[in-house]
Parts: sequence; C-alpha cells; structure tokens
Amino acid sequence: MKRSRVIIAFIALALVLFPLVVKSDYYQHLVILALMWVVIGGSWNLLAGYTGQVSFGHAVFFGTGAYTAGILANKLGISAWWGMAFGGITAALVGLFIGWVCFRLRGPYFALATIAAGEIFRLIATTWESLTEGMVGIMILQTFRSKLPYYYLALLLAAASMFVFDLVMKSKWGFYFISIREDQDAAESLGINTTLYKNVSLLISSFFTGMAGAFYMNYMAFIDPHVVFSLHYISIMAILVGIIGGVATIWGPALGAFIMIGVQETFRSSIFGLAPRWVSQSHALVFGLLVMFVILYMANGVVGDWPKIKRLFLRRP
Amino acid sequence: MTVFLQSLASGILIGGIYALIGIGMTLIMGVMGIINLAHGQLMMVGMYITYVLFAFLKIDPYISLLVSMPALFLVGVVIQRFLLNPLMKIEAILPENQVLMTVGIGMVLTEIARFIFSSDYKSTTTAFSSQVFFLGTISLNAPMVIAFVIAVALTLILFWFLLKTDLGRSIRATAQDKEAATLMGVNSGRITIITYALGAALVAAAGTVLLPIFYLFPDIGGPFTLKAFVITILGGLGSTVGAIFGGVTLGIAESLGATYFGMQYREMVGFVIFLLVLIFLPGGLKRLTKI
Amino acid sequence: MEDDTGRPEVGRSVAEKLITKDKVVILGGGYSSSVTAAVAGVAQQNRLPFLINTGSADDITEKGFDYVFRLNPAASEYSAAVEDFLTTVVKPKTVAILYENSKFGTSSAKAFTESCDKLGIKVVLNEGYEHGGIDYKPILIKVKQANPDVLYMVSYLMDAALLMRQSRELKLTPKVFIGGAAGFTLPEFPQNAGQAAENVISATLWHETLPLPGAMDYFKKFEAKYKKDTEYHGAEAYAAAYVIADVLKRAKSFGPEDIKQALKETDMMTVFGPVKFVSYGKKANQNKLSPYVVQWQKGNLELIWPKELAKTKYVYPVNWLKVWGYE
Repeated sequence: MKRSRVIIAFIALALVLFPLVVKSDYYQHLVILALMWVVIGGSWNLLAGYTGQVSFGHAVFFGTGAYTAGILANKLGISAWWGMAFGGITAALVGLFIGWVCFRLRGPYFALATIAAGEIFRLIATTWESLTEGMVGIMILQTFRSKLPYYYLALLLAAASMFVFDLVMKSKWGFYFISIREDQDAAESLGINTTLYKNVSLLISSFFTGMAGAFYMNYMAFIDPHVVFSLHYISIMAILVGIIGGVATIWGPALGAFIMIGVQETFRSSIFGLAPRWVSQSHALVFGLLVMFVILYMANGVVGDWPKIKRLFLRRP
Repeated sequence: MTVFLQSLASGILIGGIYALIGIGMTLIMGVMGIINLAHGQLMMVGMYITYVLFAFLKIDPYISLLVSMPALFLVGVVIQRFLLNPLMKIEAILPENQVLMTVGIGMVLTEIARFIFSSDYKSTTTAFSSQVFFLGTISLNAPMVIAFVIAVALTLILFWFLLKTDLGRSIRATAQDKEAATLMGVNSGRITIITYALGAALVAAAGTVLLPIFYLFPDIGGPFTLKAFVITILGGLGSTVGAIFGGVTLGIAESLGATYFGMQYREMVGFVIFLLVLIFLPGGLKRLTKI
Repeated sequence: MEDDTGRPEVGRSVAEKLITKDKVVILGGGYSSSVTAAVAGVAQQNRLPFLINTGSADDITEKGFDYVFRLNPAASEYSAAVEDFLTTVVKPKTVAILYENSKFGTSSAKAFTESCDKLGIKVVLNEGYEHGGIDYKPILIKVKQANPDVLYMVSYLMDAALLMRQSRELKLTPKVFIGGAAGFTLPEFPQNAGQAAENVISATLWHETLPLPGAMDYFKKFEAKYKKDTEYHGAEAYAAAYVIADVLKRAKSFGPEDIKQALKETDMMTVFGPVKFVSYGKKANQNKLSPYVVQWQKGNLELIWPKELAKTKYVYPVNWLKVWGYE
C-alpha cells in the first residue's frame, strides 16, 4: 500500500510541475485535453464499469454541460465560467430524466436506448435555434491567454473526479453498484433498491461529465451540436478510453485518456514528422486496432490486466 | 393528396432497403444476443466492392451483387470466427465485450476505407440511373424500384432458407432458445459464424442496391448502423417478418415525418419511435403480429 | 502544412503546434466554418495573424478579433449578385429556400431570407435538412405544392446533386433553380446530377473568364496539372498564398505586430480579385468582393451576371421538361 501512495504522489507532483517545465502551449494543450478525458472516461466507468450500465450516450451530459455554459454566456451575457457551477447540475438533471426513461431496460437494450437518447439530444440542439443557435454554434472569447489557468483547472477537475469516484467506490454505495453489475436480481432480493442506486451512479457520472463539457466550452470557446453531442467522438470515445485503460478500476480510464490522446497526436503528426505523411492519415486506424487488440488480449484493460502484462515482460526465456 | 401519396410511396421504397439492412441485424441479434455496431460499416465495405467493380471493370452494380454478397459472407466468417467467438471464452467484467468489439471493428473498417479511397465521395451510374416512371401523379425512379424488388426477392429466398433447410431451422432454433438448441445437438459455434456471415452478406446486398441511388464515402456506415438497430427493435428481436415491418414502418415514418413535421426532424422521428417502442412495446411489432 | 481533419479541437491542436512548436509567423487556411471559428480563437489569443480563405460564416469576423483577416466575403454576401439577377431578369414573387443545417448553410439561408423580405419576395417555404439524406422527395413535393418562382438551395456537393436529380424526377419546375455557391459550382456537381444539373444557376465568387490578371492562366494550369476544372474554392486558396507572400515581403519584420500591420495595409490584385481588408458594419478586417452569378450550360459553368462582365448570355426562361429529356 505504501508503494502505491508514493507512486500517486509522484504522478501528482509530475502533473503539477509539468506546465512549469514544459513551456510549449502545444504540449500543454494536449495534456489539458487528456485531463478532460480523464474526467469523462472516469464518469463513464463509474456507471458502466462499476455499476454495469453500459452507456453509449455520455455525449448527452457532455453536451448539456457545454451548452449550459454556452447559453449562459450567449443569452444571459454572464461569464461562461458560471457554467462550471451550473453545467454539472443541469447535466445531472438531464441524467435523472435519462435514467427515468432508460433504466426500465437492461443490458443491450439499455445501451441502445442511450444511443437513441444521445442522437435525440443532438438533433434537438441542432433544431432549437432560438436557444442554441443551431448549427451556427456558440462562440465566445477565451478569458485567459495563458494556458496555465486552464491547465490547473483541468487538473483539479480530474483529481476531484477521481477522488470522488474512489470515495464512492470505497463506501457502501460502491458495494451496491458492484452487486447490481454482478447480478441485478440477486441484488434486488438482498433488499438493495437497484433503481435508486443505478440513478445515484448515473447522477454522479452525469454531473462530472457535464462539468467536463462546461470546461470544454470555456477552453475551446466554440461549440456546435455536432461537436459536443457527437456519438462517435464523445460517447464512443468515452467507452474506448475506459476499455483501453481498464473498466472498473480507478486508474484505468485515466491511463486510457492519456493513451488515446497520445496515439491520436503521435500518428496525426506522422510520428513527430519522422514518418512519411501518409502515416498521419492512420491515427484513427491505429487507435481502432489498439481497441480490438485490448479487447481480445487484455479483456480488463491495461490497468486491469497489469499483473498479466508484468508477468509477460518479467518472464525470462 | 398527391403530397401524401408521393411521400408514402417514397417511404415504402426506401423501407424495402431498410428492411434488407434490418434483417441481417435481427438475425445476428436474435442468434447471438449482441448488437452488431459494425453493421453499417459492413454495408460500406459492400458498397466499395461494388464501386470498385464498376469503376475499374465496368460491371453493372446489380450484377456485382454476385461478388459483394459472397465477399462479405467471407468477411463475416472471419470476423465471427477470429474476433467475436474467442471473446465468449474470455472472462471479462462487462458482458458487452462483443458489442464493444464490433465498435472497434466498425472503426477499423471505416479507417481502412478512408486509407484506400480517401474521404472523397464516390458514386456509380447504371443504364437506368435517371429513368423515371409515373404511377398517376406519383413519380418513381427506376433504381429505387429495382432496389425494392431485389430486397423483396432476397427476403423471400431467406425465408425459404430459414423455413425449409436444416441449417435454416437450426438458426431459427438457436434464435428462439439457445440452450434448448444446443441440447438438441446444434453446434452453436458454427451457427453463430454462419449467421453473422449471412447478416453481413444481406447488408452488403442492401449497400450494393443502394449505391446507384445514393453515394459513398467512408463514414457512410454509422448512420445506417443506427437505422439497423432501430428497425430491429421496432420489428422485434430475431424476427425476420418483424424486420420487414420495422424497415417499412421506419421508411414511411421518416418520409411522412419529413413532409409533415419538416425535413430536419426526419432522423428524430425514427429515434423517438424507437424509444417509445423500447419502453412501451418491448418485443416490438413481433408482439402484435405473433410471428 | 497540416491537416485539421474537420474537428475543432484537432484544428486547435494543429494551430497550437504550428504556433508554438513550428513557430510560424502567420496562419492561413480554414475550409469548414466550425474549424475556422475554433482556430480564429487560438490565433487571436496568441496574437498571431490568421488569414482565412474559405470559412465564411458571418460571425467569425464580427467578434472583434483584430488578428483575424478574411479573404473571402461573409456567407451573407454571397447572394448579392443573385439578388440583382433575380430582380432584373426573373422578377419572382415567391421563393422557397432549402438549406443544409450547418454553420454555412444556416447563415446563408438566414441572410437570403432577409434579402427577400427587403425585396418584397414572399418566402413560401424555408426549411433546413440534415446533411446526408437519401430521399429528398418528401420536402421537394412540398415545394412543388407551394409552386414558388424560385427554389434557392444552400447545399454541399452530394446533397446538391440529389436535390436536383429528385427535382427532375418529380417534375418540379420553378422558374429558376438557384444554388447558394458551395456544392453547386463544383465540377463534380454535373457529374453526379447528370442531366439535372443543366441550366441550374448558382452564386459564385470567381470565374476564370473574369478580367482579372492571371485568372485564365491559373485555370489552365490547374486543369493541366490535375486534369480537372477548378472553381472559386481553389482560386481563394491560390490567391491567399499570393497575399501571404506579399505580406511577408512588405512586413518590416516577422514579428506578429508587423505582419498584422502589413496585412492591414494590403492593397493588391490577385486572381481572385482586388484584396483589401476593411472594417464595416460589425465586421473587421474583411475583404470586400463582389460575387457573381454562374449557370451550367451544356456541362460548362458559364458566367452570366453581372451583365457587363458576362461572356455568355443566360438561359431564361427554361423549359425544364425539355432540358430534362421528358419532351
């Protein structure tokens, strides 16, 4: 146990010092994106990995959070930073509604319902022009020129989310979540109110995803429905981040987020310009192959199957 | 009245193609209990095969059905045999592992297509591409009607196969009750491979007949994957008759929705019906028709 | 040169990398309006001049970004010549507008609707659609029912081709079909729409027969090199490269302030027309350009308006059923 604490402290220190050492806006930008994905991936993992409700619709919460911030700035003329306070809350409210509709369903049916919910939200954001500006999108001015405020905010958000997820999973709730995943009927017969705890899990999950969305609005300063309600780039990416890192582990999605951003950027820039240009076209392909490989050979992700990986490399021929 | 009839006719025709897409999905979902989120992407591969045959060998898209269907059958065999079946033996936390695998497969297929063909739009023309005929005031275009006829024909062949052949009966038995079928001596590993391959071949056929009407680019698969599961849930899992009803219903609903609510609500109509059916009519239209 | 793959955060990654790692002194480019908007924010924030050549949504130059310059006109101005053509030649009473639900499509349609109100043309139908539909007949049959004098469409390539093909199938015959630039001027449009592309009119920003230095030359060179025709999107990018070269020559140093100053002072002739960045209305650093009207005639895109520049006479009125091979 001692050793893992040392490692955590080391990682935390490294992340805090990173922007002070690496001055490049470009690398800071990449780490900011990765930290944002730590929040999204972790949130998805709480609901899907721990509670067993595999959501294909996390873009709903991300988009709701982003649009809360955007609409506050655009319609009420107040700072989009208020979105950081309200984005999570509106996303959680939407989460309650989604839960009310979708938790009547189990397994693959739940997954399908969340896909449909995500697409419906995207289409609403596209067509409700008086509120969302539709496909014109919402554009604001960034508050800070420096990356540092964004960086530390993203870091704080990521750390807070992981702390909360860890706390929840160590509590009684965490036990309920896992028993729902393992066998919902058995959990029910043990007297666990499964609907209630599924909603609790969803509430926490949607809250943090909404915060990440509000952060995205503030940081990117531009959103439109196809960007923040995207099935492919948000909902599915959240799943892949979780899968690669390892579901039902605290550190899995966090690692997955860094792997995803790392693979994407390494290949998109043709391995830092060393490889021929066509390599840059293959970043999504490489990531897809990585996902398939992980599912086939590391069913529990890099973190979940860490002992297996360690054995593989430590074994001397 | 003309508006209504034209809209209805368009909906039915497109519904035929939807049905063909949905039947493959319903077979896979029925037999394996998984959602195939690479379904539209398999269709995309079928379309590219058709396109290549047309662009380089000048083969008519309808004739290339003879190539695209067997080719995708093989692709389906490979996917099920080497990527999906092994997962059944792997102990994983989430039972949805196979579904997530199909997400990965879909992504890789799309990116391979982008790699080879770039993101440019491709299209084909046939001898009757721009031919139109009129039924009273209703305009029908030839490729759409041909696509509809081929969809119906393939569906009939599939029915015959499922009802009259031993293999077909085994598939139906597995779809209805997997454990009972296994007890009866059905080799479920083999059945899953054949089912997935069959599903892939059918959706390839849908892609091939769709190409002369529509166009092609690597990302075309995603929206059709979504349509495929809407149809499947609408019709009821594992029910081929249901998939036909589901496809045509979706086609008509979209078409009328576009006319009477507005074109931008077209997609939303499908998803809203889908959610309503999922919640208030679990089991889909199958429950009403009892087939 | 890097590819932004059409995602705003990737566009931002590329811009950040170019600015901080590769230390570029000026950014150029931007095709999709969404990505352009995101990159404009980065440029402004980093105080680095950004020359936009295609992204045309109005609001990009209305944000008070003083480091952002735009070579192409804003979307709302694309239709100015079309409006002139309509009021002089067609004199329509009613118009139907269909547009793609995208940043470009929505802002163009909005602007055209306002112009119609001003010109006293009644908008009988005004609907957006999701890009990538197969079947546009449900909406087109509604247009047919409304029987407008003009059908105005803002669509990208494949949707444009399908809209025209299906209009033909429905025998939908307004007096004129007008495209709001984008898909309707691309050489791939007649390839995909076939017969149905004939006599369709579109707004455009450029045509090779315009009396601009090097325009025809550029067109021929492009044709020889890529074995296909080019149109305004290509000319924009080509002209942007010349503007950047000119700016870098004139700038006192490669510092962003000097480059910005040089951009502000730009006053040159390019294949795309005169370039000079001015501020007017809500817009800042916007190049003002007069748009034109083109028409597909026998598979070629011909400049038909303004009259004094046109080498070919417009075809109007059109007997659509004959053009489409029904009669």
